[in-house]
Amino acid sequence: MNFLRRLFSGRLWALIRKETQQILRNKQIVFLLLFPPTVQLLVFGLALNPEVTGLDLGVADYSRSADSRELVAALVENDVFQVSTFEESQAALGDQVRAGRITAGLVIPPDFSQELSENQAAPVQVLVDGVDANTAGIAQGYVEQIVNRYNQGLTTPPSGQPESLPIETQVTFLYNPGLLSSWFFVPGVIGVVLTLTGSLVSSTTVIREKDVGTLEQLLMTPAAGWEILMAKIVPLFVLLLGDVLLASALARLVFDLPFRGNYLLFLGLSALYLFVCIGLGIFLATLAENQQQVVLTSFFFNVPLIQLSGAIAPIESMPPFFRHLSFFDPLRHYVQIARSLILKDVGIDALWVNILALAIFAILFLGVSINRFRAQLS
Amino acid sequence: MSAFSPEQTVVSPRTSAESVPAITLQNLRKSYGNLEAVKGLSVVVQPGEIFGLIGPDGAGKTTTFQILAGVMEATAGEVSVLGKPPREARLNLGYLTQKFSLYTDLSVMENLRYSAGLRRVPDAQFAKRAPYLLQQVGLEPFGDRRAGQLSGGMKQKLALCCALIANPSVLLLDEPTTGVDPVSRREFWDLLTAVAAEGVTVVAATPYLDEAERCQRIALIYGGEIQQLGSLANLRDSLGLQRLEVRAGDVATAEQALQASGAPEFVDIQTFGDRLDILVPDAAQGEQRVRDTLAQHQIPINSVRQDAPTLENVFVNRLRQQGSDPPYISFPMKHAGKPKGDIAITTQGLEKVFGTFQAVKGVDLTIRYGEIYGLLGANGAGKTTVIKMLCGLLPPTSGHIELAGETANLSRADVRSRIGYMSQKFTLYDDLTILQNLTFYCGVYGVPQRLQPEKINWVLETCGLQGREHTLTASLPGGWKQRVAFGASVMHEPDILFLDEPTSGVDPLARRQFWRLIRDFAHRGTAILVTTHYLEEAENCHNMGFMVAGEVVAQGSPSDIKGNQPGQLVEMQTTQNQAASDLLKHRLEPWRVSIFGDRLHIVLDNPDQELPTLRQWLQAEDITIHAAEPIPFSLEDAFIGIVQRANVD
Repeated sequence: MNFLRRLFSGRLWALIRKETQQILRNKQIVFLLLFPPTVQLLVFGLALNPEVTGLDLGVADYSRSADSRELVAALVENDVFQVSTFEESQAALGDQVRAGRITAGLVIPPDFSQELSENQAAPVQVLVDGVDANTAGIAQGYVEQIVNRYNQGLTTPPSGQPESLPIETQVTFLYNPGLLSSWFFVPGVIGVVLTLTGSLVSSTTVIREKDVGTLEQLLMTPAAGWEILMAKIVPLFVLLLGDVLLASALARLVFDLPFRGNYLLFLGLSALYLFVCIGLGIFLATLAENQQQVVLTSFFFNVPLIQLSGAIAPIESMPPFFRHLSFFDPLRHYVQIARSLILKDVGIDALWVNILALAIFAILFLGVSINRFRAQLS
Repeated sequence: MSAFSPEQTVVSPRTSAESVPAITLQNLRKSYGNLEAVKGLSVVVQPGEIFGLIGPDGAGKTTTFQILAGVMEATAGEVSVLGKPPREARLNLGYLTQKFSLYTDLSVMENLRYSAGLRRVPDAQFAKRAPYLLQQVGLEPFGDRRAGQLSGGMKQKLALCCALIANPSVLLLDEPTTGVDPVSRREFWDLLTAVAAEGVTVVAATPYLDEAERCQRIALIYGGEIQQLGSLANLRDSLGLQRLEVRAGDVATAEQALQASGAPEFVDIQTFGDRLDILVPDAAQGEQRVRDTLAQHQIPINSVRQDAPTLENVFVNRLRQQGSDPPYISFPMKHAGKPKGDIAITTQGLEKVFGTFQAVKGVDLTIRYGEIYGLLGANGAGKTTVIKMLCGLLPPTSGHIELAGETANLSRADVRSRIGYMSQKFTLYDDLTILQNLTFYCGVYGVPQRLQPEKINWVLETCGLQGREHTLTASLPGGWKQRVAFGASVMHEPDILFLDEPTSGVDPLARRQFWRLIRDFAHRGTAILVTTHYLEEAENCHNMGFMVAGEVVAQGSPSDIKGNQPGQLVEMQTTQNQAASDLLKHRLEPWRVSIFGDRLHIVLDNPDQELPTLRQWLQAEDITIHAAEPIPFSLEDAFIGIVQRANVD
């Protein structure tokens, strides 16, 4: 009680109240906290939605049999693919893919029907336009899925031996081999949104003080560096936590994400990640001289953070060096936590490495920025 | 409107009378919500005229300028600039504000070239004009320096050059010399006078009334209306009073004694540095009365001079009649006991080097509790750097500092809580209300909750802002922000107070109130380090140091400093001050000649022999000296001499 009274009459409270009043007065920041996260989440989430329809499929059917027509029918059945061209040769099909007129090309060999009837593995070839990696991955996934289903219709269940499935797909990626796509975009985008908003908003509140010149006056007061920063962090933290709630509501309502894990744990770990973002933002503010510089520097930091995190492009697709580097990306750890808690039901025991990493990043960023904050005037 | 009509002969526009007036304002009005900032302003400015606007903070000067510049629309009334609406005339307009309108990342030359490019100045004209302008204001050697690295005075001079590069017909200047040192602002005005002679119309607002005396006509604005309009002579005569310049041992007690006497002869008593200006209807009678009164109180008189009133006398007197003298309310001091020890600040061999630039060179200072120490010097001399090192914001490169008995860690919280600091620029948060600002500073300095209302009220009352405490700070005029900022920096009753140009941009009445408060704090034992460009204010200091290029070149009490000036100061009135000044600066050493309002001040080693020569020189150019008499050095004369002599070395 006594402690509380001291806190609320003390310097820290005066500082926090001032920051809150400034933030509430600043319509821009309130807007920045609400509007972009919503739009980003909707745009990223909807645009990266793996539900794809109407992909252009080209077919080079050397077999010209009932079986081959059945396979093509199975592919177009659920509107994922539409056959836009039949080509005479594999080479012509390849040209179509190369020209970007079709997304996938299916090559059915002449002995397809015969091999099927002899219960042998019948290889078909699929050419996928890998320039648009996402669509390519999705196309690949669908072809495999549909071919598998077609397989199951052929074999007399239960065969028990998947090796002897009648049709064997050999997928060849043109231009961009070895890519994986997943359904996990929305949790990743939540991480991206928190990183962008958190670091930008916190860096602008710190840099504004430097821009208008009140920082010097503030440093002349008895308030310690950590108190000044803490006062800046607390109201932002509360507002950003609101962003987490907003993002998870959108994820639940618009994208129908299951939130299988403990939601309070998700909130707690998101809060931990917010400290990392705010620490990063303040660190950027101590590097820059003015608002313009801080925005540009934040691009320099944020873009690689996002790229390395696996939020958009899978970590598995990176070269080994970057795959290891991604361990030093706090967003990677957060995205992993978010995916695990939203899509699976896992506990702390499975996530402790990521949690530890986030804690270390939070302490590191905040510590460094507090130190730099005092030192920067000279 | 004006109490009398201006004499056309005084206006004497150089161009023919049939030509279009440079500026016509007809019943101009501007309201912000309920607040009427300008209430029916009418004035006509002729081409080539230098027109001065003076008035207290919040009189509506800035609003008028913004309307003239076409930045803002008037609520009602007619505005025309060069016979057109302001927005259409803007290619022929130059507009300069208190804030530097320069690109800090560009060099001096690049800034000029940019301004020229915007207004499509032909290359040939630029090549001729740019060096001329830079040379006029002494910026020639700095063509390659980035504008951000210039001192405040240099920035304003460069901004003026940028405004002049395109040969505008009309120049609008909204207090451009705020925070500019006495030498630089004279260079600034010398250039203005020169371009006005070429036919440029200049409308200038200034907080320095000696500058306003250089204008052909002056409008005194108050409460959004022109209260008086006319030449300097008109305004003076309108008072119908004469001025006694009284120098006495102790100005403050002498003022009290004279005030207390209640004699009807003393229409107004104003302190002005080390002297009292007493406005009396009859000089001889008044002088007798002053001598009698002070003799009664046994206050020795050093000298009494009779002279015409200055513009500042007129200004202060008019505003006092309006009842706008800010109230003096003693600060509610709670602090018991004086600070321990005697010496508040000492430095030995203080140095600061930025890269290859030596900003501060071997400064030794000693400031005691209860002492007001003035740190004076040109813009960029290193005053602010010294202050920042003293308060621990900037580590010194070498040297020893002792602050409040502390030598090692100057930024410790308990040291900080004993220090008050008001920096040169924005101390308040523009996006908070006045009350929120004050509550914040109370809280952050740990003023106990129960004492806060009393202290905040004191600030509001002193600033005359009761009932307006919920106004957003951004909407306050500059001078009022300064007052609130001062209040915010003293609420925690600091033992040591740093004030970096606290009165810059503050009107004369409020400045007097400021200094009364500063003296109060010193009297109660606070050590105060203050910088200012109003040299007459510096007379309030017990001790002072003059800094030039990072060094303290002269130190002592105001009388020591003035006493150590070489030569004899002669005040002259001539038919053409500007031409006389230009000529004499050429013939004598430049530091010996300066313009003070409508007078010339000249330092001569031997007036009796030199004056006839000067008279001859001027006569050859058709300039007549009306009057020339020896006067004592003021601090401003001393400043100009010290700074300019040191720069020559």
